[in-house]
Amino acid sequence: MKSRWLALLLFGLVACQASESSSGIRLPMGFIPNIQFAPFYVALERGYFSEEGIELEFDYSFETDGVKLVGAGELPFSLVSGEQVLLARAQELPVVYVMAWWQDYPIAVAAPVGSGIETPQDLAGIQIGIPGTFGASYVGLRALLYSAGLTEEDITLDSIGFNQVESLISGRQQAVVVYVNNEPLQLNASGSPVNVIRVADYVDLASNGLLASESILAEDPDMVRGMIRATLRGIRDTIEDPEAAFEISKQYIEGLDQLSPADQDLQRAVLAESIKFWKTDRPGYSDPQAWENMQTVLLEMGLLAKPMDLAAAFTNEFLP
Amino acid sequence: MTKLAKRMTALLPLVAIGVALLFWEGVARWSEIPLFILPPPSAIGERLARSIADGSLQRHTLVTLSEVLAGLALGAVSASLLGYGLAKSSTLEHALSPYIVASQSIPIVAIAPLLVIWFGPGRLSKVLISALIVFFPVLINTIVGVRTVPTELYDVMRSLRATKAQIFRKLEVPAATPVLLGGLKIGATLSVIGAVVGEFVGSDQGLGFLINVGNGLYDTPLVFVAVITLVAMALVLYGLVAMLERKVLAWRIVEVG
Repeated sequence: MKSRWLALLLFGLVACQASESSSGIRLPMGFIPNIQFAPFYVALERGYFSEEGIELEFDYSFETDGVKLVGAGELPFSLVSGEQVLLARAQELPVVYVMAWWQDYPIAVAAPVGSGIETPQDLAGIQIGIPGTFGASYVGLRALLYSAGLTEEDITLDSIGFNQVESLISGRQQAVVVYVNNEPLQLNASGSPVNVIRVADYVDLASNGLLASESILAEDPDMVRGMIRATLRGIRDTIEDPEAAFEISKQYIEGLDQLSPADQDLQRAVLAESIKFWKTDRPGYSDPQAWENMQTVLLEMGLLAKPMDLAAAFTNEFLP
Repeated sequence: MTKLAKRMTALLPLVAIGVALLFWEGVARWSEIPLFILPPPSAIGERLARSIADGSLQRHTLVTLSEVLAGLALGAVSASLLGYGLAKSSTLEHALSPYIVASQSIPIVAIAPLLVIWFGPGRLSKVLISALIVFFPVLINTIVGVRTVPTELYDVMRSLRATKAQIFRKLEVPAATPVLLGGLKIGATLSVIGAVVGEFVGSDQGLGFLINVGNGLYDTPLVFVAVITLVAMALVLYGLVAMLERKVLAWRIVEVG
C-alpha cells in the first residue's frame, strides 16, 4: 500500500485522471479507435455498462501500458492479448484474465496468391516482414513456425513496423505477419489477393480478452461480473446485428462516416471477419488448453524462463 | 583555487549522482514499489550485468552507435555545405529557408514509418532519420557562423589580394568553426534520438529495439539499461565534440592568471 502514492505519481496524469474520474472506469483498448471495438461501443451506447453501475471511458493507449496500469492497481480492467497475461505475471504483475473475447488467435502470415506459400512448412527459406519482434504478431509467427517444426533460423525475418500492406505490394517482403481480420482484406481490396496461413488453424492459443487486477477481483467481484455481463451483451448484439453496430461505431470512430462507400465497405468486412472470431457456444470461456499451448510457445521462445501456475493467470469464475 | 579544491569541485557531479542513486534505492525499497513500475538502481545494475554477460547490450549498442555515427556524419556534412551556400547567397536563402524551417515542424515520428517503407527496414532508414534530426541545428549554426565573420576582416583579406579559396580556408572556416561546433554538439545528442526513433518504428536490433523488448516483456530494468546506455552514448559523443572543440580552437584560448 505504501507504493500506491508513488505509483500514482509515476504514472502521471493518466493515472491521476483514471483514479479521480468519479465512478468512471477508463478501459485501455490497446489500439486506436477501430471497428473491432464495436461490441464496446454498442454496449456503451445501449446503456449496458450504465445498467451495471459502470461509467465507461475508452483509453487508446498501448496495450503494455494498460496492463501496467492494471498491475499497479490504478485501473481495474484492460483489453489484452493472451500472451501479455503470462508475460506480465512472469514479472509479478498481479493481473488475471477474466473473460475470453476472441476465441481464436487472430494472427496469420499472408503471402501473394501464386507464391506457393500456403502452409507453415512453406515458410522455410522465406523473407517475412513483421511489425516487430515482440507482441502478438511475433508470438503468433513463432507458434506457426513451431507447429511446422521450424525455428526463426529457417526464415529471414525483417522488422518493418506496421507497413505490412505496402511491403507486400511493393515486393520488399515475400510474406508478412498480419491480423486475419485486417490486412488480408486491405490487400484483397487493393487488387493484391493473398493466401492466409492462420495461426489458429495449427495451434490453439489464448487470445484477446478482458484483464482485471487481482485487487478488484478481491474487493469488488460484483463489478467484475457486471463488466463481463455488459461486454458479453455488446458482443452478442454485434454478432446479431453487425450493421446496427457499424452505425453506432460511427459515433466513436472519428472519420468513419467520412470514408468513401468503398472504404466503409472495407470496414464492414473487417467487422464481419472479426465477428467470426467472437462466435462461440460458451461466451467468455477460457479454454485451459489454450493457455497451456500459449505457455509452451512462450517457453520455447525463451520469453518465459520457467512454467508458471496457469490456474492463477485466468479464471472463468466471474462469467454469467 | 588550490589543486585540492579543483579536484573536489570536479568530484561534485559524481557525489551528486551517488546521493541521487542512494535516495532512489531507498525510496524504491522503503515504499515497496513493484519492479515493473520503478526498479531500484541495484536491480538495474544487476540487469545491466546480465545484458553485458550475454553480449546482448554490446551487440545492440554497436548497431545504434553505427547508425548514430553515420547519421551524424551525413547530417553534419550536408547541413554544413548547404548552410555555407545559404550564408553566402541571400537569393538561395530566400528561396529555400521557408521550406527548411517548415520541414522542422514535421514530427519526425510521423514520417519515420514512411522512411522505413521508402528505404527498407535496414539501417539506412535509421541513418536517414538520424541525419534529418541533426541537419537543422548544424545548418543554422553554419549560417550564423559564416555570417558573424566581421566585414573588416574580409576587407583585410581582399586588401592582401586573397583568393576566394584563401578567404574560405584562412578566414571563414576558422571564424565559423566555434559556432559550427556548437551546432555539432547539439546534433551529436539529437542524432541518438533520431536513430532510436527509427528503431522504434521497425527494427530487430539496436537500443530502441531493446526498449521495445523491455516494454513488451514488462522488464522495466531492461528499459532502464537501454535508456542509460543511450544517455551514456550521447554524453560520450558530446564529450568527443567538446574535445575536438578544445583541440581545434586551442589557438583561441588565452591563459588567464
